Amino acid sequence: MAQSQPVEFLKSQKPSARVKSISQVNDRLFQIDWTDGLHSQFDTVELRRKCPCATCKDEWTHEQILKPENVPDSIRPVKIESVGQYALSVQFTDGHKTGIYPFSLLRKISLIN
Amino acid sequence: MNIIKNIGEKILGRTPTAINEEQIKQKLSKIMDPDLGQNIVDLGFLRNIKISGNDIYLEINLTTPACPVKESMKSQAEALLGEIPSVGQIQVQMTATTRGSTAPAQSQVAQSLGQVKNIIAVASGKGGVGKSTTAVNLAYALAARGSKVGLMDADVYGPSIPIMTKPDAPTQSNSNLINPPQARGVKVMSIGLFAGGEKATIVRGPMASGVIKQFLTQVNWGELDYLIIDYPPGTGDIQLTISQTAPITGAVVVTTPQDVALIDVRKAIAMFDTMKVPVIGVVETMSYFICDGCDKKHYIFKSGGGNKVAAEFGLNFLGEVPLESNVALNSDKGIPAVIADSASPAAQSYMTISGAVAAQVSIIHEAYKDALNHFVLEWKPMSQEIQ
Ligand SMILES: Nc1ncnc2c1ncn2[C@@H]1O[C@H](COP(=O)(O)OP(=O)(O)O)[C@@H](O)[C@H]1O
Ligand SMILES: [Mg+2]
Ligand SMILES: [Zn+2]
Repeated sequence: MAQSQPVEFLKSQKPSARVKSISQVNDRLFQIDWTDGLHSQFDTVELRRKCPCATCKDEWTHEQILKPENVPDSIRPVKIESVGQYALSVQFTDGHKTGIYPFSLLRKISLIN
Repeated sequence: MNIIKNIGEKILGRTPTAINEEQIKQKLSKIMDPDLGQNIVDLGFLRNIKISGNDIYLEINLTTPACPVKESMKSQAEALLGEIPSVGQIQVQMTATTRGSTAPAQSQVAQSLGQVKNIIAVASGKGGVGKSTTAVNLAYALAARGSKVGLMDADVYGPSIPIMTKPDAPTQSNSNLINPPQARGVKVMSIGLFAGGEKATIVRGPMASGVIKQFLTQVNWGELDYLIIDYPPGTGDIQLTISQTAPITGAVVVTTPQDVALIDVRKAIAMFDTMKVPVIGVVETMSYFICDGCDKKHYIFKSGGGNKVAAEFGLNFLGEVPLESNVALNSDKGIPAVIADSASPAAQSYMTISGAVAAQVSIIHEAYKDALNHFVLEWKPMSQEIQ
């Protein structure tokens, strides 16, 4: 649609930050470049330890049930896939794949910004 | 002896001939993998060969970390590399990658929806508010303007799209995808199109989600400007499955003027907010009644429910659709209002609404033009860099 004025997003809704690109950095880390210009890196071992799924984290108290020491440093992702347009899921080498990591959470826990 | 040689070279200002990869490969090609019966160079086991001055670093990447000859292979390699003239430090790292299927896991969503430009959810808080009728007329109004349109019936508990559009039977494509049949130029998919589909009410939870997932991953939607999805009413597992599987461009929320429905509407809007699906706006149906006797709008229900909810959430109010007996009558015959009687007030409303939806969709598109709709990152074993 040809518009001379900058288009306004849907009334009072603000566009949420989405993934512009995602890439593996090294054996453990990956990077996300966000649509708002932010860059974040993630340690996949830490992500496994912070898994937000119902078996790893208490839904009500928000306490991590999963003990960090029960996740070995050798754990790695098998693949990382988008979940809709608000989150991603990670399938890990230990078979665990129920964690859905919303982008809003990821932006809070990233290594570098 | 080495020291003397090095000093000699320094004094003479002569650098030693650099070690090259070929020398390394030639030496290491003497090592055989006992299981595969081939030398490790031809097998492609050498990784990350780094030569700095006379020092060598490299990795031997085995097919399994549990390789029984790992240690002996390592010392063999170190010994062989030690034979290279003027070699300095040697570091051999043993790594392993378990080989599996080499075919990249083709994204299933991409094969089905890869050429679909926009996906529009049509949702409501509860049933019977005219959601399916809106979805159908939205699809045909967009098609009437020259767009390529698909219509997916996700209301597996009460599939009504087949009755409302009367498409042919689906066929199997040669790539094992299901070809959606067409109804007046719109591609349609519904569980009601399959044998026994009319008994769809017995489809239960996990099974229903499975069917919907198939519609988003195994239907050959092909090239479409818009795919309209008729959501089940409310906020359940299926709505979650769709919004998690497919990149939904935006959602249209349908209400009636009565306040009772609005409680559920608020929940539906909250669900889209959680999943970061932009809400394109609110449509209010069966807003008023135009009787035969006069052209006056009779607001038989308390008016303005849709407007109220739009205002409350700061959403666009896309328009109101009058109650017209012909809309229901033609719908039951498989003819959408915008086709059956395009001059009627209801059809005109749907046309106006579709224009507003199309305009909002292009705004969403602009706002997210840099975003990846869908991604899969296959993890690759990489060695940590050496300093
Ligand atoms: N604008 C309208 N005028 C008259 N009848 C309508 C109108 N919109 C929908 N209906 C009728 O109301 C009933 C419910 O509509 P439907 O679209 O099936 O609702 P939902 O999908 O929300 O359950 C249907 O019989 C339909 O034909
Ligand atoms: Mg319906
Ligand atoms: Zn978990």
